Amino acid sequence: MAKSMAKVASKRTGGDVPIVRMRAINKWYGDYHALRDIDVVVDTGERIVVCGPSGSGKSTLVRTINLLEPFEQGRLHVCGIDVAADAITRAARLAVNRCVGMVFQQFNLFPHMSVLANLTVGPVFGRGMRRAEAHDLAMHYLARVGLTDHANKRPAELSGGQQQRVAIARALCTRPQLVLFDEPTAALDPEMVNEVLQTMESLAADGMTMIVVTHEMGFARRVADRAVFMDQGQIIEIARPDDFFERPQSRRLASFLGRILTH
Amino acid sequence: MTSRFVRDAPIDARAAPVAAIAWPWRGRRARFATPATSALSLLLLALCAFVCVRFVDWAIVRAHWLGQSSAACPGDDGACWAFVIARWKPWLVGNYPVGQMWRAWTCFATFALFWIWVVRRPPAGRPGPVLVGFVLLPIAFLILLVGGGPLPLVAPTQIGGLLLTLVVTLATFATALPIGLAIALGRRSQWPLVRALCAMFVEGMRAVPLLAVLFIAATLLPLFLPRGIDVDLFTRAVIAFALFNAAMAAEVFRGGLQAVGRGQIEAATTVGLSHFATLRLIVLPQAIRAAVPALVNIMIAVIKETTLLSVIGVNDLLGAVEIGAKSPDWVGESNILTSGYVFLALAYLAVCYGLSRYSRRLELSS
Repeated sequence: MAKSMAKVASKRTGGDVPIVRMRAINKWYGDYHALRDIDVVVDTGERIVVCGPSGSGKSTLVRTINLLEPFEQGRLHVCGIDVAADAITRAARLAVNRCVGMVFQQFNLFPHMSVLANLTVGPVFGRGMRRAEAHDLAMHYLARVGLTDHANKRPAELSGGQQQRVAIARALCTRPQLVLFDEPTAALDPEMVNEVLQTMESLAADGMTMIVVTHEMGFARRVADRAVFMDQGQIIEIARPDDFFERPQSRRLASFLGRILTH
Repeated sequence: MTSRFVRDAPIDARAAPVAAIAWPWRGRRARFATPATSALSLLLLALCAFVCVRFVDWAIVRAHWLGQSSAACPGDDGACWAFVIARWKPWLVGNYPVGQMWRAWTCFATFALFWIWVVRRPPAGRPGPVLVGFVLLPIAFLILLVGGGPLPLVAPTQIGGLLLTLVVTLATFATALPIGLAIALGRRSQWPLVRALCAMFVEGMRAVPLLAVLFIAATLLPLFLPRGIDVDLFTRAVIAFALFNAAMAAEVFRGGLQAVGRGQIEAATTVGLSHFATLRLIVLPQAIRAAVPALVNIMIAVIKETTLLSVIGVNDLLGAVEIGAKSPDWVGESNILTSGYVFLALAYLAVCYGLSRYSRRLELSS
């Protein structure tokens, strides 16, 4: 069923307007060359899945898009904001994050706040939304992820899957034009992976632009418009999911798929 | 042995077995396991009993309770509580004017009520109101005690004894906490100069004994101040205390700030919070909560450090004992001074043990 929903929604809603454009981006951690000549364009409404072995730079790539990681060379263009490598300031980071949401591997919910306050703190204190309006918005998205009953609990009282769904609702409450997912199911027990993937699939069906770092290949096949394979800080291959999984062009991707799909 | 097993009836949960041996005998196997441990246990028990009996004999059986001079405590055989009881006013408030005692009583009563409120709150509750109370109380106390306007002025140097300990501790806390927090934040500043200055201040203060800081404040500070500006000894002592303990509090806050993970700051950034809003709404509430038990420990240290004030001539509890033992009415017997010291120790023990229990409770609840 999820598959058919994804099919319907893959008729792009926003046209081919680029929302992210990365030009020759290079990043180093000390002497380690973590991102090498990254050139990517993501259109509005696209769903991109990024995969690759650990240490390949997938997380660094998505964290560069919302400027959580600064880069040393290149140009980044997000939601109409143009940022050069030498102009990464707090103000630029704030501007970019007003339009980009993010879901982390470790959820990173605010433990000292209720679920509801986790959702409203961004809209109220980040963009000056009225409390009543932010409350309604939060309850709307809590209903969306099926957690209305847990609005007044602390994050620690929820299961991992529920916490990650709260984190997704929190990201949506800032009304982002693009949501980044950094291995959202990697820290979850196997039983809880599906509830989070289903939430993400329904988000994709609504036409949300998403960039997802994940090892969930079934999710990638069902949801992605394009899949990106990274290794050693480089983009090795970008392809539609059927080509990506059935007809990989690079030997590196073929051997990676061979290793993860056999078990 | 079959390789296949399927449970057909679930196992109900059962209560855990109760420890079979009651308390007085539970330790018997540990304390009287071998002849050697038995002998050691008996020896220590006898030592405890001996010390207790001697102390009770000195402090209660042979003690002298009433009297207005050293004539009430003849000989050195028992405690001279008459000295403590007769001189209750210097103990409690120092030289505070007799006609203005209601101001001192108001401070004690207010603090008692405040402390009852603090202890009865749920330990996991928001620490903000408590910290605000600790900042506002000493300001209110100083205004009330020193006076001005409709209240007759009382020189701060006339405040002494337990009242002084209370006011100095609270005033130190009220100033050291904000300064310490500012320094801890300064050490995370993006400007290297601010980071270096804050680190230098903390390392410098931690490397100098408090007594030296007090002497510098008492003797050296007036030389640096412009002519005509006269800061009294009491204020100078409080400034020295505040700066010294600000360095201690800064280290505690730094630990608290480090306990807030990088992921929290990143998450706050991605929901659109500015740097300042992230600090105020996400980082500080968690950092302060993590720091509260250690801050209570600093408070215990401050209370005990107030005894150092007597060295620079401020009339604190310890000073009240020594001045009292030198007064013409009470010179003579050495047990008078001893009784004063014992009472002092017991008073500090009661206050600090209570605080330390409170700090334990906070640690367990967090």
